[in-house]
Amino acid sequence: MIYSELLRESGRAMRVNRMRTVLTMLGMMIGVAAVVAMLAVGNGARSSVDSIIASMGSNMLIVISGARTSGGLRFATGSTPTLHLTDADAIRGLPGVLAVAPGSGNGSQIVYGANNWSTVVMGTNPDYLQIRDWPLAAGAGFSASDMRGAARVAILGQTVATNLFGDANPVGQTIRIAKSPYLVIGLLAPKGQSFGGQDQDDTVLVPITTAQRKLFGTQFGDTVRYIMVQAGQAELLAPVQAEVDALLRQRHHITGTQSPDFDIRNLTELANAAASTTRIMSLLLGLIASISLVVGGIGIMNIMLVSVTERTREVGLRMAVGARPTDILGQFLMEAVSVSAIGCLAGLLVGGAAVLVVNRLFDMHSVVTASSVLISITVSLAVGTFFGFYPARKASLLQPIEALRHE
Amino acid sequence: MAPPLIRTEHMGKSYHLPAGELQVLTDINVAVAEGEFIAIMGPSGSGKSTFMNLLGCLDLPSEGEYYLNGRAVRSMDVDERARLRNTLIGFVFQGYNLLPRLNAVDNVTLPLVYAGVGRRDRERRAREMLAQVGLERFMDFLPPQLSGGQQQRIAIARALVNDAALLLADEPTGNLDSRTSEEILAVFERLNRERRLTIVLVTHEPDVAAHAQRLIRFHDGRIVEDGPVARRPQLQAGARP
Repeated sequence: MIYSELLRESGRAMRVNRMRTVLTMLGMMIGVAAVVAMLAVGNGARSSVDSIIASMGSNMLIVISGARTSGGLRFATGSTPTLHLTDADAIRGLPGVLAVAPGSGNGSQIVYGANNWSTVVMGTNPDYLQIRDWPLAAGAGFSASDMRGAARVAILGQTVATNLFGDANPVGQTIRIAKSPYLVIGLLAPKGQSFGGQDQDDTVLVPITTAQRKLFGTQFGDTVRYIMVQAGQAELLAPVQAEVDALLRQRHHITGTQSPDFDIRNLTELANAAASTTRIMSLLLGLIASISLVVGGIGIMNIMLVSVTERTREVGLRMAVGARPTDILGQFLMEAVSVSAIGCLAGLLVGGAAVLVVNRLFDMHSVVTASSVLISITVSLAVGTFFGFYPARKASLLQPIEALRHE
Repeated sequence: MAPPLIRTEHMGKSYHLPAGELQVLTDINVAVAEGEFIAIMGPSGSGKSTFMNLLGCLDLPSEGEYYLNGRAVRSMDVDERARLRNTLIGFVFQGYNLLPRLNAVDNVTLPLVYAGVGRRDRERRAREMLAQVGLERFMDFLPPQLSGGQQQRIAIARALVNDAALLLADEPTGNLDSRTSEEILAVFERLNRERRLTIVLVTHEPDVAAHAQRLIRFHDGRIVEDGPVARRPQLQAGARP
């Protein structure tokens, strides 16, 4: 029998029992929609985690001023600055260390003309931008003389620049931080949100020396809140961490079992853990979704078996007028594949719509990829063929006289 | 001389049942020439239907041989037998066996679909055939909307649409009243006369058998009578006013 005949016949068979056909398709549709949506959302989650990791900087350790114990009372980590600029300089001398950036931040009011903005002003050094992999959109970074002379210069984050200057170029303008004038020498490229959901662009950078001597005053002295350390490559992170730990213990006179007054965190490790968690999650979601595809396939098989039983006499009659077993096989197989194909198309539409809704609700950037569409189509057609084959074969093996006598 | 359309040599059929061997047909030797109109009679269980199934290649003999158009049916494969049913044989059943969701034309085109005839051609031939059996006004009706006689005419049109040479009718008038039966039998007689169609018809009723030229009577799986139909005068006078 010709394909167009098979299609016509399966269309007719599907119309006879509309409700049943639609319900069978529904199973397939839900399966495909689930697979498409899960793959898209999983990919979306992974790419946002990946971009956050990339925005943090790579191969990075962060040393934070540790918990101080005073009279048996333990204070929060970082509450008392115990790290010094000299610690940072000492770390820079360690093997395997590529860059070191000390940092101290404090909230400040920034004023430009009639506009003002409250943000975190951060003292740091030129290495900071390298470690964070953070390019400048305009202007230049801190020079060596800026660092030495504690110059009143600032680099603005995008959010700060937008709030103070609108669309105008801030480089070369003078802003006031804590009532003192600062020359804007650079503008950072936009970076987006951090892991914790903070706006990383809402910041102003000044030289650490300036921050210590002129901005934050005596409360900090020579201390810094944290020191960022970048290793030359990922494999060096662990040895560098051990070296930094040993060096700081020695410099801070911490012996043996004493708990250190600093804390070393390996952010890349954390981030990688988060990334692999999302990978496993999306794999799991995809797996669960494909189970629903298989369930849809079983639904098709179930209905096709019923259909073959119901139409046994029809099969006998068709054989009597000249249908070969392959014609009967083709007829029922085509019906099963048609049901799953239509269900699949509906599922693609529903899945795509679900992705749009998820994107809007959770502010994600999930995309239905061509590969996930292809996978769904292939799998659902395969499922239709696989689960349709047994009933179709059963029909094709019927003996004509017995089929004709069937009540 | 051309070989007979149908020839059986010691043909028999037995079934293996849990209760033991069941011999349904024994030593059937029949030859049917093209253009014959044969009635098959016999009590229930005498093997008439099995004989018809074997003639129609719906089943295979377990003993002997059956030659259709000179070819041994037992040596054919499934597809070849399907092809014979498609091109050479037409079936008419007591219960019509129409597909209820297809209209008259689509029911009649069914054999042509399996013969690979194009859609246009198919419909034309189906309409012609339906016109020949007097259903030109009911082409687009569904079987359940039609009377028994009309449904049986659709079945006849379906049996003959692919130019079958052999029509096998298993109690075709069994579900019909006597007037409609006469109409259907008149159609058979006309087709037998005009197309030289070979007809083998199973019936319980002598009135129906009287339309045939030759009568084969079965009893307990054997042929007990094979000869020309006795045209009883009172029957002919009584049946036709």
